[in-house]
Amino acid sequence: METVSTASGRAAVRAPRSVLQHKTFRTVIYHGVVAGLGYVMLYPILWLFASSFKGRAEIWTNVSSLIPQQFTLENYINGWRGFGGITFTTFYLNSFFYAGVGTLLAVAASAVVAYGFARINFTGRRFWFACMLSTLMLPVQVQIIPQYIVFSQLGWINTFYPLLLPRFGGQAFFIFMIMQFIRGIPRDLDEAAEMDGCGKGGVFFRIILPQITPALITAAIFSFYWTWEDFLSPLIYLNAPRLYTVSLALRAFADPSGTTDWGAIFAMSSLSLVPVFVIFILFQRFLVEGISTTGLKG
Amino acid sequence: MRHKFWLLLAVLTTIALVFAACAPAAPAAAPEAASQPAAGGDGKIELRIAWWGSQNRHDRTIAVIEQFEQLHPNIDIVYEFAGWGDYWTLMSTQAAGGNLADIMQQDYARLEEWVSRGLLAPLDDFVADGTLNFANVSESSLAGGRLGGKLYGVNLGTNSMTIVIDADKLAEAGLETPNPDWTFDEFERVATELHEKLGIYGFTGNLTNEQLWKNIYLSLGQWVYNEDGTGLGYEDDQPFIDYLKMVKRLQDAGVTQSREQEIAAGGSVETDLIVTGQSAMTYVWSNQIVALTSAAGEGRNFILLPMPRPAGGASANYLKPSMFFSITSQARHPKEAAMFIDFFTNNVDANKVLMAERGVPVSSEVRAALEPLLDAPQKMMFDYIASIESSVSPIPPPDAPGHADLINNVYWPLVIDPFMFGQQSAEDAVRILREEANIVLAAAAR
Amino acid sequence: MSEALSVSSSSQHANDQRRQSVKPHKKRWRHDNWMGYLFISPWLIAFFAFTFIPIIASLVLAFTNYDVLSPTWRWVGLENFERMFTRDPRYIKSLQATFFYAFTAIPLRLIFALAVAMLLNTNRRMVAGYRAAYYAPSIVGGSVAVAVMWREIFGRNGLINAVFGTDVAWLGNPNTAIWTLILLAVWQFGSPMLIFLAGLKQIPREFYEAASIDGANGWQQFWRITLPLLTPIIFFNLVMQLISGFMVFTQAFVITGGAPLDTTLFYALYIYQRAFVSLQMGYASAMAWVLLIIIAVLTVLVFRSSSYWVFYSSQED
Repeated sequence: METVSTASGRAAVRAPRSVLQHKTFRTVIYHGVVAGLGYVMLYPILWLFASSFKGRAEIWTNVSSLIPQQFTLENYINGWRGFGGITFTTFYLNSFFYAGVGTLLAVAASAVVAYGFARINFTGRRFWFACMLSTLMLPVQVQIIPQYIVFSQLGWINTFYPLLLPRFGGQAFFIFMIMQFIRGIPRDLDEAAEMDGCGKGGVFFRIILPQITPALITAAIFSFYWTWEDFLSPLIYLNAPRLYTVSLALRAFADPSGTTDWGAIFAMSSLSLVPVFVIFILFQRFLVEGISTTGLKG
Repeated sequence: MRHKFWLLLAVLTTIALVFAACAPAAPAAAPEAASQPAAGGDGKIELRIAWWGSQNRHDRTIAVIEQFEQLHPNIDIVYEFAGWGDYWTLMSTQAAGGNLADIMQQDYARLEEWVSRGLLAPLDDFVADGTLNFANVSESSLAGGRLGGKLYGVNLGTNSMTIVIDADKLAEAGLETPNPDWTFDEFERVATELHEKLGIYGFTGNLTNEQLWKNIYLSLGQWVYNEDGTGLGYEDDQPFIDYLKMVKRLQDAGVTQSREQEIAAGGSVETDLIVTGQSAMTYVWSNQIVALTSAAGEGRNFILLPMPRPAGGASANYLKPSMFFSITSQARHPKEAAMFIDFFTNNVDANKVLMAERGVPVSSEVRAALEPLLDAPQKMMFDYIASIESSVSPIPPPDAPGHADLINNVYWPLVIDPFMFGQQSAEDAVRILREEANIVLAAAAR
Repeated sequence: MSEALSVSSSSQHANDQRRQSVKPHKKRWRHDNWMGYLFISPWLIAFFAFTFIPIIASLVLAFTNYDVLSPTWRWVGLENFERMFTRDPRYIKSLQATFFYAFTAIPLRLIFALAVAMLLNTNRRMVAGYRAAYYAPSIVGGSVAVAVMWREIFGRNGLINAVFGTDVAWLGNPNTAIWTLILLAVWQFGSPMLIFLAGLKQIPREFYEAASIDGANGWQQFWRITLPLLTPIIFFNLVMQLISGFMVFTQAFVITGGAPLDTTLFYALYIYQRAFVSLQMGYASAMAWVLLIIIAVLTVLVFRSSSYWVFYSSQED
């Protein structure tokens, strides 16, 4: 963090002997604050994981403890079993497929569309951009039924088409986000490239794309997670249990009027966080390296 | 350079198209035919079934479906299931799209709503021709599925509400087990004494739930809705006013949880304070006994009692069909659907798999066959239903079409909560209920 | 500032071009039109193929009494809209809850996200781990497990009462229930944080180096470099949080269901209840379109204000 280094740099001029002490002190404070806050942030998740290892007898009688009295994997075994022979292996494959392909489509298409909106001055740009943002403002609850009727007329129930095909157009959130990143890039480079005979396509791939890597990575992380946790579209369009995604299967565990295996819910909920978390860990590395190494020189 | 761009765009599009094209086939080999549940090419009949429930119910139901398929190799059953809330979102959407399953699980509170829209088919023809055999089923168990003289749903199990008492707490407080025909006055006294002597909650069930409102008028020989579902079916508001005042007294004395704590705790059986011994009594539906005892752990003793009644009233209990199987009017194979429902109701092997998970089975033959196989909580449930069977009030008609709207938009937000939070008197609460109910119900019954 | 410089140089450049010749400019303009539509064509096609029909359908239904289960409906004119504002006390409560939530949760979330992003925009050891820890809550989503988890943490014997030594039913008290949901929103601040982080990464390091040579301290650098260069991202986050804040649904849906006393009855939750519980899709659609207008007006205000405080390195029009 540049702010810190300059501050201690000034301190160095004033009192050379305390430099080391000062710096260590700041580091300790930094780690103390960040780690302490981190623990608070993580507490609910720790609770969820702890509960997933508690036995049936303990799960509701030893609720607030973070340490199971008797550590058991029973919940994971029961949960993974799924429903009537269709296990979570199937649900995970479905989810990976949906989230993986969905993310690829959404991010690639969004980048292309965002470039069009951000850098090319065409007639009707403002109008279409407003239309695009408006689609985000209408609650999905009132669109479900007309949309279902359209897709069922097309015979697309129990296929992934209704979930994936709309993503060929990108997603408004990512389009707008990538646009903002593109607009943060000075135009001089584009113009220079265009002078050199580069077309719009060339500018996009040569100049813009390398510079918006952090935005694309961010979009990919979000898109993967949002698709992973999406249950409404799978609920409506993937009716056969063999096509259920993890988030949908998780919701089929609980029944307020009957017997609910909460242990299994906690276990499978905990487990369902893992892939999203792994994707984040893997991608955030690129996020860190991102533009800071390439800088403006691109 | 422009050349390169087009190449890349083309590659990208191709990749995306390829992915999308294998979408349904890729990981799960999606049966695209599932969306057209007509007779398949191999002459097989495809039957669709939908239900709500938890993992336990899904497993058992799927196993029974497999049994049925073995007996009927020409029938292929396609099933879909979801949790309670999602189920109704999905069913409404499918109904709007004209794409309902052949058989759907139905609920007593929703039945009339669906029948009034013509979405369910009457089953009487199948009863007449023997496809649905109810030789071992009493008329009273079937009555709940009848509307306007026609049968629209087959009861999948019998349920009734019950007060659960922690027997050890009762003994600790030196109290006798109350009589099965206890009144609200006795209930109030027992709950208060339990609280005062043990320092824990005397009762933790949600006393303002609309079920108790219904119970009061049932016990008085009336019903909350009028016959055509266009308004309230009772004239005298006083019993409900008295009841609400009692609930408030219990809450103010700390015998029950405050409304705030009740809301904060949420409604699931497993989180009821009786589980942790912080409460001596609660109420559940009889099939929830299994969930409650399992959450409470080993070594606990519970007594089941019928619901208390207003002074001078008859039983506040009735035998409720826990849920139904109905054949939809969009069904493609109603005959085969009826065969499956018959199998589900009467087949002993099937019911040995189901193990009364949906409530006590309606067929006397099935009940007799299951009796020796029951575990302790299940036996409690069977015994409870058997013990109240002869004394319960007759089943009221299914809820009016505007029921869900009334409960969600009037009963809780305008009547109960403002009263429980001290913003309005019991008299005002009940008056508002009457005024608003008549508007809402009339609008829904169109 | 260097960013101001780049703005003026690029507009200078455009002016030069405009002056040089009119004809090539016109040709270029037509070419731009063509290319623009080519680039946004994926969105246009998907929009007309998949989104347009449901949107128009919901607009039409807003003027009917469509009840989902019946195949027919009646035209009721403006009745649904009239009912909302004159005969539905819950509707007013849902507006109150939503506005309250939006105007507290959005600023809190953005400030917290920016602060943490700044804190984590460093190359210290363990930073990757911290970043993961801070992002983790945001992937918990809205499953049934979250509802139970949140209930336990704010429950009688939960963490919050244990830490503060209180005995408050946080989720049942009409004064505190909405705050627990606001806290949940702030807790899940990962998405704006990540966007801020990506934005911070995009600021060229040379700017800071130049500024330190000029003797600017950390605070001055923040105000003169970080904040101005981050404004496009702040603007984006603000707009998106505004939209999603008004559409907030899942948390209230799984945790409170609108209780107590409708203090957490968020607008979208109420739409859902009317549409799928009461089966009044016509009414729900009308409510949805009013929400669209509310959000659109606020968004336009934010966009209008942006020319005063958002700085693009590539500004031209």
